[in-house]
Amino acid sequence: MSEAAPARMAVKLHRRVCLVLTEDAVLAEELLARKKLAGEVLGRLSERALLIRPGRIDAVLDELIKMGHTPQVVGK
Amino acid sequence: MPTDVETWIDRARIAFDGYSETLRRAVASPLLKPRNPIPIDELTERMLGALGNPPVVDRRIADQTPMARAALAIFGQSRRPTWKVGHLLTILAALGSTEGFAPIQALLDAGLIFPVRESTEPLNGFQPWFGTEGLPNAEVFALPSVAVRAKDEPLGLPNVATADGPPNSETPRLADGLEWPLRLAAVGQLVAEGGMRTTQARALFKRDLQRLQTHELLAAAPADHLVNLPDIGGLTLFWALGAEKIAIVDAEWKLPEVDKNAAPKLLSEEIVALLAGLGAIEAWDPLLGYRLVEGQLSAVPSAAMLLLLMLAAAKPGEWCESEPLAAWLWEHHPGWQSGLTFEVQQVRGTPWVESFLLGVFYPLGLVEVAGGRFVRLSALGRSLLANGAKVPEAPAFLQTLMVQPNAEIIAYRQGLTPTLIGKLSRFARWKSLGPACTLELTAEQTYRGLESGLTLGGVVQTLNQHGVRPVPAPVIDLLQRWANKRERIAVYTSATLVEFLSPADLDIAISRGMIAQRITDRIGLCADGADPDYKNLRLIGNRDYEAKPTKCIAVDEDGVTLNLDAGQTDLLLEAEIGRLAEAVPADGTSARRFRLTPESLRRAVQGGMKLDDLDTWFLARTGEPVPGAGRMFILGPSVPPSLASKRLILQVPSVEIADGLIQWPTTKACIEDRLGPTALAVDDAKQEALRELLETLGIKVEFA
Repeated sequence: MSEAAPARMAVKLHRRVCLVLTEDAVLAEELLARKKLAGEVLGRLSERALLIRPGRIDAVLDELIKMGHTPQVVGK
Repeated sequence: MPTDVETWIDRARIAFDGYSETLRRAVASPLLKPRNPIPIDELTERMLGALGNPPVVDRRIADQTPMARAALAIFGQSRRPTWKVGHLLTILAALGSTEGFAPIQALLDAGLIFPVRESTEPLNGFQPWFGTEGLPNAEVFALPSVAVRAKDEPLGLPNVATADGPPNSETPRLADGLEWPLRLAAVGQLVAEGGMRTTQARALFKRDLQRLQTHELLAAAPADHLVNLPDIGGLTLFWALGAEKIAIVDAEWKLPEVDKNAAPKLLSEEIVALLAGLGAIEAWDPLLGYRLVEGQLSAVPSAAMLLLLMLAAAKPGEWCESEPLAAWLWEHHPGWQSGLTFEVQQVRGTPWVESFLLGVFYPLGLVEVAGGRFVRLSALGRSLLANGAKVPEAPAFLQTLMVQPNAEIIAYRQGLTPTLIGKLSRFARWKSLGPACTLELTAEQTYRGLESGLTLGGVVQTLNQHGVRPVPAPVIDLLQRWANKRERIAVYTSATLVEFLSPADLDIAISRGMIAQRITDRIGLCADGADPDYKNLRLIGNRDYEAKPTKCIAVDEDGVTLNLDAGQTDLLLEAEIGRLAEAVPADGTSARRFRLTPESLRRAVQGGMKLDDLDTWFLARTGEPVPGAGRMFILGPSVPPSLASKRLILQVPSVEIADGLIQWPTTKACIEDRLGPTALAVDDAKQEALRELLETLGIKVEFA
């Protein structure tokens, strides 16, 4: 008997999202403790995912590099 | 990726399409010489076709005046497709032109050159455009395929070669041509490190000028130098920015992306690109260094071009000296003299010419020098500028690097090529330039290299491929550690997040490989933040992160239950709502619900949200301010204590009666408070007196 084709899953897309994903929650906390960075964070989607204000990604990158991090930039 | 030829044809197409119909027909007429009228929509392609046809181009060039042909020859000899009109007119004036702007106008009218324009407004004629741009600073361009046909047009320059020369026994001194490419690589790294910019007028900010002047590598004189140049770092920067084919940084002044399909670059090609860049060096002078001539044209591009053309006018083997070259410029250049200092003017600019020849052209490998003062074009220079025989590239030594355990790289110069210099510059920092150059591997530079598209494997492969021995293990470990550090934070500049209706759906999508990474229990991310494959998905909503928040919550009558509209919710809501409400466990319906509780709202207030902030949020999300129940949760802890007491309540039958009792002083004295439209609180001690008063008024009172 052949297996029925799986139903298509309903999804909603969120486009053009500026996001910072950290390796762990502690690193996200470290970033949020930085005043300049915290000001650019709109919200925390999860322990490791920070939503960034639209148009402020360059400022976030500069600040991360100033902190000594080497962020991987995806989707330039 | 478009080739250089395609790029310039596209530019010509855009320029020609920017002409009004009348101007297009006027320009096409001498170029195409059509027997029948050509439909306007075919005109551009017909014209570009003609410009790509060498015999037609040769005939049209031959139709021009000698000075117009000379102007076109400047494009060809300089290998620079774009020139400022002011510089072209200066060179033509030095060549003896008395026609003013006419040669440039003739070339524009003939469609052999085009104006460089930002505006998209149709161009009705060239005069109005010059009026807008300002004649000296207006720029024109020629297709390289056209310019090359005019390259050998006679320019009427005299042969100023000296009768005597160095002794035949003396071997001419010739630089390897790598000095400027190496310096360009170093200046590119400095710029990519950040913070450096030029103004709109291509001027340097003071702080950046100081950085260039004090940079240990860029401020130092070349290893093989005959004269010292001032502000050599500034020259390198302006040169790099002016050479269109040398991209040391991208449009955002960062390291350009790795072009995996790029062919290896020959040294002669790099030198040609630098030769083309000479025409853009405006803010630097070989004697004065950094020098911004505001509102005026610099004499450097035109004087440098004329110097090269004069060297090319000498016969093969003949030597020139600075003094007669300077004397010719002194006599013929219309503006160069006035920019010289008084001392240099006394010797008719000879030190200026000497500095340019020995300081700029010699390290470039375009000229060779003998006896300290005799100069002539090198074989490469003659092949580029005087129709000399093509010079074969020097054989490259593949193994020319030595990676040391302390993460320093020694690069033996004779094995370096522009391609290898470019590769090394992406991941290692230039530390010294000399016969043996040194670079160091640093975390920052490795990071920039990886960000520009390199891989760790590619870096190690380059070092091994060109190394005289394998890369030491500690260095590989170091590179690996730096590369791993980069994996700790990922910044998505414009990702697409996929939100599922339930955590179970997301689990399935991950197990099927549709989603690469879980962000929350219901939201996932595809590889590289790209759009998902829609084959197995049904789209129920599409939200733009940069759009304004929309109303997406309905509040139940209880004032605490929040119903989310799945189609309208956005990511910010996901991040925000958890701060002020508790999620209600799913009850089988598709709508997600949250509930305001005293604890959740207290948590929000402790987290820094005020009632005003909450009102703003509720207005944006529900269309109403915080519901009464919510306000009570928030304000409850801050209001004064409430009073609980037993009171005698008088309930009158109408509002009018209540108003009267409150207003008439006799009855008012018996009433403590008005509790509602028809409810009054009566002073317990005066209840009997009030009853009597009411009876006198004809109002009966019944006690419950």
